[in-house]
Amino acid sequence: MANEVLRARVGELAARVKGEVGESLGVLELTINSAEAIEALTGAKNFVDVPCDFLHDLAGMDLEDHLEVVYQLSSLRGPQRLRIIARVERDNPVLDSATCLWKGADFLEREAFDMFGLQFRGHPNLKRIYLWDDFEGYPMRKDYVIESHEQRAVMRVRKEGE
Amino acid sequence: MDVKREKELREAEVAAEKNILRTSIEKFLNWGRVHSFWPNSFGLACCAIEMASTGGARYDLSRFGYEVFQASPRQADLMIVAGTLTRKMAPVARRIYDQMPEPKWAIAMGNCACSGGPFADSYAVVPGADSIIPIDVYIPGCPPRPEALIYGMLQLKQKIQNPSKVRLMKHGK
Repeated sequence: MANEVLRARVGELAARVKGEVGESLGVLELTINSAEAIEALTGAKNFVDVPCDFLHDLAGMDLEDHLEVVYQLSSLRGPQRLRIIARVERDNPVLDSATCLWKGADFLEREAFDMFGLQFRGHPNLKRIYLWDDFEGYPMRKDYVIESHEQRAVMRVRKEGE
Repeated sequence: MDVKREKELREAEVAAEKNILRTSIEKFLNWGRVHSFWPNSFGLACCAIEMASTGGARYDLSRFGYEVFQASPRQADLMIVAGTLTRKMAPVARRIYDQMPEPKWAIAMGNCACSGGPFADSYAVVPGADSIIPIDVYIPGCPPRPEALIYGMLQLKQKIQNPSKVRLMKHGK
């Protein structure tokens, strides 16, 4: 289903960044370790003929033994789509920020940080985006335990400038 | 009917012929208040769409005199909490309620504002606006139809017009 040219380019890139290529829901998937994330994204952005130069979405995932960051790439100039999955250690969830490639990754990475506690190295303003600043824990992680009904019914004090 | 009450009624009848009506000032003020709620447009989620629809031409809330949706809490006397109250929003909601001048009332519109609704177990949602704000009327529904909001506001009208009755019901007598 995926474009043959794109398939060849992704194969070349996978060999360079030691990744695995798969296909899911008609979209090519490149799974890599977080250390090679920026190299892979830069490569995908600069593919000859089929550049995947638009960061469609960025999301965190929790697979219990490790975390993942999913980059959905597409292009404004073609039908090509590519999904890059970066594996992140659960104990030390640090990886490089994609804000150097796409300015729009700013808010997306803040959301991933907010929900999964992923630390993006080099992010200009890495703080919570949806939840309040003194929220404890990362609610979308599988091991997050929700506060009781009584605790949530207590009004928190608003901070100036929030 | 006792003689005293009969005499009062007869006097009232005579006064009415002279275009005089006797009542207590509190009753008179309440009569005015219930026919002109100025709701604070505090729409938090999808219930706000139904609230806007209620104010629109089809359901026409203005036939009851309630159409003046105010953007400022200082000019409002009724807060309609229309939608999901998140914990981040809760201090702001309370602040808006505190800024409203007395006398003031609050309506919880929709399941979310009544009890947290489908988000009752969420980490980010206050399970019921009544833990933040004293609520007078609860309107269930997801979202409630405009008719339900109108009915809720008319219930509030009954409540304000009959304060002694409400107090009795509250204490179970």
